[in-house]
Amino acid sequence: MLQVDPVDREKLIDPLFRTGPRFWLVFLILLVLVGWGVAFYVRQLVFGLGETGMDRPSYWGVYMVNFIFFIGISHAGTLISAILRVTGAEWRRPITRVAEAITAFALIVGTLQIIIDMGRPDRLWYVLRYGRLQSPILWDVVSVTMYFLGSVIYLYLPLIPDAAILRDNCPASAPGWQRRLYTILALGWRGNRTQWLRLEKAISIMAILIIPIAVSVHTIISWILATTVQPGWHSSIFGPYFVVGAIFSGIGALFLAMTAIRRVLRLESYITKQQYRNLGLLFITMVVVWGYFTYAEQLGIAAGQQTEEFPILASKLWGEFAPGFWTMIILMIAAFWIQVVPQLIPASATRLPFFQPRFALASAGIAAVILLLLVVPEAQPITASLTDILPSMFWWGLFILLVVELGVIVSPWLKERFVLTTGLAATCVVIAMWLERWYIIVPTMTHPRLIPYATYLPTLTELALSVGSLALFCLMFLVFFKIFPAVSLWEVAEGRVISEARSKIEIPPPEPVEIRRRLRRISLRR
Amino acid sequence: MAYPMTRRQFLTMTAATVGSVAVASGLETLFTPENAAAAEGVLQTGSRETVVPGVCLLCPSGCGVLTRVSEGRAVKLEGNPMHPINLGTLCPKGQAAPELLYNPDRLTMPMRRVGARGSGEWEPVSWEEAVQLVAGRLDALRAAGHPERAAILYGEARGQLPSFFRRFMHIVGSPNVVSRESLNTAGAKLGVYLTQGVYDTPSYDLENCSYVLAFGASLLEAGPVPQRMVSGFSFMRRGRSNRGKIVVIDPRQGVNGAKADEWIPIIPGTDAALALGMANVIIRSSLVDGSFINNYCFGYNDFPDETETRLIQGFKNFVLENYNPDQVSEITGIPATTISRLAGEFAGQKPAVAILPGKGGLLNGTIGGVYAAMAVHALNALVGSIDTPGGVLTQRYPKLRPWAERPADPVAEMGCTAERVDGAGSLFPLARDAYQAVADRVLDGYPLDLLLLYDANPVYDAPGGARFVDAFERIPLVVSYTSFLDDTARYADLVLPEPTFLERFEDHYLEGLGYPGVGLRQPVIFPRHDTMSVGDFLLKVAAAMEEPVSSAFPWQTYQGIVRYRLFDIGTDWETLKELGVWMTPGYLHARRGSDKWVHEVIGRDRRFAPRDGYFDFFSRELKCIVDALDPSERARLGLAEAGDAAFLPRYVPTPFAGDEKDYPLILNVITLMSLGPVSAAANMPTLQEISGMTVGETWGSWLEMNPHTAEELGLVDSQEVLVESPFGQVRVRLRTVKGLHPEVVNLPYNQGHEAVGRWAKNRGVNGLALLTPQSEPVSGLAAFTNTRVRVSRA
Amino acid sequence: MPKWAMVIDLDKCVACQGCSIACRFENNTPAVKPSEALQGRAVRWNDVFPLPVNPTEETGEYPNVTVRYLTRPCMHCENPPCIKVCPVQATYVDEEGLVRQNYDRCIGCRFCTVACPYGVRYFNWSDPQWEGSLREYRTPDRIEGVGVLEGPAVRPKGVVEKCTFCIHRLHKARAQAEAEKRDFRPEDYVPACVQTCTGKARFFGDLKDPESTVSQLAKSPRAFRLLEDVGTHPKVIYLREG
Repeated sequence: MLQVDPVDREKLIDPLFRTGPRFWLVFLILLVLVGWGVAFYVRQLVFGLGETGMDRPSYWGVYMVNFIFFIGISHAGTLISAILRVTGAEWRRPITRVAEAITAFALIVGTLQIIIDMGRPDRLWYVLRYGRLQSPILWDVVSVTMYFLGSVIYLYLPLIPDAAILRDNCPASAPGWQRRLYTILALGWRGNRTQWLRLEKAISIMAILIIPIAVSVHTIISWILATTVQPGWHSSIFGPYFVVGAIFSGIGALFLAMTAIRRVLRLESYITKQQYRNLGLLFITMVVVWGYFTYAEQLGIAAGQQTEEFPILASKLWGEFAPGFWTMIILMIAAFWIQVVPQLIPASATRLPFFQPRFALASAGIAAVILLLLVVPEAQPITASLTDILPSMFWWGLFILLVVELGVIVSPWLKERFVLTTGLAATCVVIAMWLERWYIIVPTMTHPRLIPYATYLPTLTELALSVGSLALFCLMFLVFFKIFPAVSLWEVAEGRVISEARSKIEIPPPEPVEIRRRLRRISLRR
Repeated sequence: MAYPMTRRQFLTMTAATVGSVAVASGLETLFTPENAAAAEGVLQTGSRETVVPGVCLLCPSGCGVLTRVSEGRAVKLEGNPMHPINLGTLCPKGQAAPELLYNPDRLTMPMRRVGARGSGEWEPVSWEEAVQLVAGRLDALRAAGHPERAAILYGEARGQLPSFFRRFMHIVGSPNVVSRESLNTAGAKLGVYLTQGVYDTPSYDLENCSYVLAFGASLLEAGPVPQRMVSGFSFMRRGRSNRGKIVVIDPRQGVNGAKADEWIPIIPGTDAALALGMANVIIRSSLVDGSFINNYCFGYNDFPDETETRLIQGFKNFVLENYNPDQVSEITGIPATTISRLAGEFAGQKPAVAILPGKGGLLNGTIGGVYAAMAVHALNALVGSIDTPGGVLTQRYPKLRPWAERPADPVAEMGCTAERVDGAGSLFPLARDAYQAVADRVLDGYPLDLLLLYDANPVYDAPGGARFVDAFERIPLVVSYTSFLDDTARYADLVLPEPTFLERFEDHYLEGLGYPGVGLRQPVIFPRHDTMSVGDFLLKVAAAMEEPVSSAFPWQTYQGIVRYRLFDIGTDWETLKELGVWMTPGYLHARRGSDKWVHEVIGRDRRFAPRDGYFDFFSRELKCIVDALDPSERARLGLAEAGDAAFLPRYVPTPFAGDEKDYPLILNVITLMSLGPVSAAANMPTLQEISGMTVGETWGSWLEMNPHTAEELGLVDSQEVLVESPFGQVRVRLRTVKGLHPEVVNLPYNQGHEAVGRWAKNRGVNGLALLTPQSEPVSGLAAFTNTRVRVSRA
Repeated sequence: MPKWAMVIDLDKCVACQGCSIACRFENNTPAVKPSEALQGRAVRWNDVFPLPVNPTEETGEYPNVTVRYLTRPCMHCENPPCIKVCPVQATYVDEEGLVRQNYDRCIGCRFCTVACPYGVRYFNWSDPQWEGSLREYRTPDRIEGVGVLEGPAVRPKGVVEKCTFCIHRLHKARAQAEAEKRDFRPEDYVPACVQTCTGKARFFGDLKDPESTVSQLAKSPRAFRLLEDVGTHPKVIYLREG
């Protein structure tokens, strides 16, 4: 009979057996959305992919974008539970399960996108029957499958002790199937030493194994594009670029997920400012690296000015794709800003008259007007070179200045609300990362070599299936955390033990001795 | 070993099994090389396959085709390698012919109108009824002594058919057999007729020619015989060691200009000036073919008139006086240096030939067009390229068995002397046909009781075709003989389904090579619907009529007529059917001055001027025709003031319909290689799909305009625009085309039908609806590029 | 084993699109609905279009305008990007150098269509449709086997198709030679587009045989290949105009 801390029980276990109307409402809404998607998928099966907005040359569209996006999201788990576990970052403990859950479910939904995108899903098994390992798609199949299996195991292993705890601690009111489920999943866990040792070993092995796999997954996805000779894709930077983007969007998703759970389950005491701050730091690093890669990738094309590649970049910078592309950039900058600037502003500054809502509104208004004036005139032709837009540079400058000012003014206000700000930043990033995938796939598709430039516009079918997929993801998430505790009980408990032990270590009073000996003493104490 | 398996062992074993299975399944194709073939399939194809020769009829070329018939279905057409026009090749129209044969919108049975005209309410009738209806009407007319009140309007009638139409109507007693020529080739034919004295589109010996000057309408897409031109073009390019040069003179670059060695955009309607300007240079630099000019031409030098009292100015001095390169440059917008260079090249790189278009270009539907044709043809004469290797050839035809003597029949004889319904020879003294004028004439009171339209769609293809709808109101019985319920058939009283060219017997002369030959059409499959070829129908009608008509045609079927007429071509019927074509290959040039020269090459078709083997620079034929008119007539025709110059090739500024200020642009209706000239082609989805290849359009019309012009008008590419002429307006998508004269806009032909079929109906716009309905007063030509339009944002 | 190749002389080509349509009727690729055509879903294995396709290079100003027309079958590359990416070997190079496409194997992932720099690969966005009686003219030719469906066989929706150099004609030619008890000659095999070419601008034959017309023409100073810089080594060789 495993014991559990009463607080944990009250916070984490009991909610699993209290199902309110709110749950059912959300559950139903998600179910309906999923149903909507399914209906349109059936339609697509009957009438063919002609139901989508795809055509020649836009052979790939939203489905591919979603695929890359979801697989990217899935990198949250690896990062948190694997990398942080390996580096022994204690603060990870309360959020490991959320992270791992995201991984598993994102992978499922991501893979689903490929099946949706297939002209002949009925022949899916051919990939095993006739698979050619020379094809990047096969590489992808292999690595994604491995990653999925790994993640599931990896999600499951830490679940074993919790399952046991639940088995032993679920209230009398609990339905029989749930009890049985826990019993099975617990694999007869008794919590004796050998079991603990095995578990720890298994987890640490998985933790190390899963990192290279995770890296391979998104590298290979990028290679699907990079191994073709298509303008805009045939780039060596794609591997790391995609991995960074993946981890980045992973953290974003994790932020949202943990914030949601924190709110819903009132876990403020578990998921504290510490998790937000540390993740925030990782987050900032990622924004910077991402920005660096993005710049590096585009610079090559811009400098090369090749007749096939440059039009693609042009279409993003000032062509038909400009609005979305710049939205992406701005969102990223915003995410960075939200995380960084408020920290830099001294509390004293807030007393300045400058920090007042009306200035914020004013600058926002003017900025909007300028933007309108700049954007309304029709986009320059593809062949236009950078020099053509110089005259408007001044106005752009002013616009940016105003936006910056706006940012500065709102900073102190943001500073006080760390959860909100991170949530905000995370939302920006998740949207921006989806856009990023879009602006990698679509512009190249619509700017082929020997086919006239085309435009690609998704149809209702594609919208429905995208929304459905997202709903499915949330649904799985919802159901999972209806059955299992959102926070790994034993890991948290273990964490408490460790921190307690740490706290016992008394730090010796400073003595006038030379550095070397002091260091030695401390090291001895360790 | 009998101890219970522990959970761990179980797990390990399962894992091991799963793993190995996975790997094993992968292994098979793990290291397959990229070029390893999958299981090899075997060919499956139709049993009972045959190949039937025939002749295509989707454009005037008349290419020989071989139809692959598999299990009773025509599945594929190929070019007939025996056929000298296409030499085994086939253009997209011919390739798409199965879509014509199996078109779901074809007429399946004879139909009689029940509702009001154009109401689209029909009832099926039997062929017997149809025959009785027409025969009864003809008998009635003859009985009433007015057989001339019956008329036939025909479009693509080939081989014996036009002759048979005329024969039939002569027996019945009507002169009214009107061909569609006045819409296209008549202009060129008149030009040659008034100079060389041959009323026919000349053939050109491209194979042996080293310099081609192609005036106007793209010969590769819409020439009189496109495929023949393509064959010659590709041969002179790369089929021989020395590559010939091709210069295209056309306001529109098009495919032809793009493929030529040089494209010279010219102000529309000024081709005559250019030709004469070149003549001027050639004469001044004495590069003319002296022996030909001096011995076999009339009117080159000044000559005394009949009264021997005064000298009439000849071509030479006329040209030297009026057309030096600088003046011409003013008119044509082509630099004087270019004109001189072209002249030098043309006269220097013999054999050289100046090619006339079959439609459009310089043939703009005015008398100026006829003069232009004369001027261009005169260039050939200047360099002596008449009936020489690499020059102009005169088309010869197979030796035909003549029709029997016409039975003595006063009614018919009287009727045949009546004035023609189209006014050819009377209202239009120079015209042989005036297709588009029939509507006006009927509306002006020419009594017509029976009008048979054979493959004629005047409501669509004649400028101002809407007038035909009104004209029909005055004709008690309008019979439309066609494969589709086209724009005109909708307003007919009786619609008779014509079998497609893959379902009927018919011959088709080889044209464009000079030497005589004939191709044969025959049913490749059993006719799909209850159709009857027009020949058979008319024979039935004749048989159903009273004497002497009934006995005048001893044949049961039209096939019989073809066999009779072609009896002496040099082969038997079976061989002809088997090969699909028969010819006497190798053009035999006539020795200058020989009998052959006099009878076949020069002056063959002259009616009034002497057939003396003289090439007319000064058109005696035209003079005779004009002199026969009374002065008032002459004034009306505007031939009086020019004096004797009226009989020389000259430049006449085009009297455009529409004032230049209000209508700054000139409308040119272009015929595409894809859709071609046949209305039915507009209902073939494949041809619709590929029609706009040059501008990236599909399934519809577009307006071509020079980007600079568009800029001036504040228009942008791909926007909807309104095209207005004094005679109508259309909405269409604008496409800017760099290779186009800034004053010209193009609309593709064969779109904007109101009927024909599901694919053609209400798709795109009909440019002809914008053209002036006026016919040219002297030659009865239909309007073409002589109408101005304005284009504005829609 | 011969290595099949095609030479297209752009100096003789008159952009008539005969090749396009000959291919269509030889290989059962029906015209699509107007709306689909406008969306760029028309299927013409051999397409004809003006160059430059996109405003990436200058074409001169009136009256000195240079327009070129290109007719484009599958290049049947020596080093085809399409077959490298196919996950199930639905497309592959056979020992005669033809890039084959097996409709029975294709899973419709469209990786090959994306990988092909020439855009010669077409996807069946829906079932091919012949309206009404038009279906009558479909050719019965097809290449069938266990798990094999090639050539003009009517494609199901959701698979990729492309120019096959009329592979069924090769089979026919071989069968013919056998029936006539003689050796198969490379001249016996001619794709539909080559046969119908109005300008006689197309030549087809064995590139391995140095005496063959295509080998001779390939040596011409006018010879060039499409997008030579992407390293696909096409077996369709063009001869420049003029």
